[in-house]
Amino acid sequence: MMEIKMIDEPFKRLLCLGCGFSYDEALGLPEHGLAPGTRWADIPEDWVCPDCGTPKHMFEMVMVGYVAGGTDLARTA
Amino acid sequence: MSNSFIIRSAERGHDMIRSDGSRSSYIAGHPDGFVTRASSFNFHEYQGGRPGFGPVRVFGDEIFHGAGCGYNMHPHHNFVICAFVFAGELTHINTAGGGMVDRLQAGDYYVFSAGSGGKHSELSVTPEDMHAIYLWLLPEQLYLPPTYHRGHFDFRRKRNEIVQLVGDADGALPIPQDIRVSRLMADKGRSFPYRLRTTSHGVYVFVREGSIRCGGAELGHRDSVGLWAIDSMDIEVLEDDSDVIIVETIMIDDENIQKWELEHAGHRVSAHDRTMGPETQRQGC
Repeated sequence: MMEIKMIDEPFKRLLCLGCGFSYDEALGLPEHGLAPGTRWADIPEDWVCPDCGTPKHMFEMVMVGYVAGGTDLARTA
Repeated sequence: MSNSFIIRSAERGHDMIRSDGSRSSYIAGHPDGFVTRASSFNFHEYQGGRPGFGPVRVFGDEIFHGAGCGYNMHPHHNFVICAFVFAGELTHINTAGGGMVDRLQAGDYYVFSAGSGGKHSELSVTPEDMHAIYLWLLPEQLYLPPTYHRGHFDFRRKRNEIVQLVGDADGALPIPQDIRVSRLMADKGRSFPYRLRTTSHGVYVFVREGSIRCGGAELGHRDSVGLWAIDSMDIEVLEDDSDVIIVETIMIDDENIQKWELEHAGHRVSAHDRTMGPETQRQGC
């Protein structure tokens, strides 16, 4: 049941509460070894913010849109 | 349905962050400098309180102790960071725009929108300790061009009136969010009405010095109140030289804050309400 639900779930955006670095499931972080489409739940629990070292559990899901061109900036931030 | 909360000074997060040992790359002023921080909302090590207020995620007063103390150069994205200086001097080195060094003294304040990315270092280089209030909030859009603005609150002339420092009033510093930050320095016996923009806005009132009555409660030194779903409120000043910060903002629909309120504010919630929530699981917790 959960497996089926995951496929339909919209991609999430999360923000590091230590520095504002973002993780977008749709974009992944290819430079940090996370392919586009990688779900937040599938990232190891000991993963930390690449910019400031804040632990994964201190990221917050946000419902904030990108400025025009912002997705390219987020992908390589 | 609750539409207010009170945070007493003693209930806030209180941290002392030393410049030696494991935090020495973050905190400047090794070996004897240290930062003290009192947080109204969850921030870094302090995770025992309310997660925020509308888009606000950090509201804290900090003191940089000792010459050379502060934060070494570190990166930010997206967050809008405001600092209001009350004593000492804050030297702010920021990569926004072409890069700059700013020196802020009592009454000075800045709004740094980190947007697509910037780095900054904040230091107290004079002998006096530096006192500031920091406010961090989510922006209305991600990856905006970084901006930096600075202003000054003339506390000798702007007495007994609510003065908007950040927001959309004449002379206020612009900010990419539906938020207004005001300051009131006032004397005993005065009363100040404050009308909110809409009933979808809320107001967070923080007493830096003195005491006031607001939202039905008496608030002293470093106490604060959050109010929402109201048209207006009054600040009744109970002590001379009271110094009050007023943050009015849109109460964005926020899963984490609502979840925290459900768990901590004594609300009884049915299983039906829980499963109907916009997002029932918070990842990674």
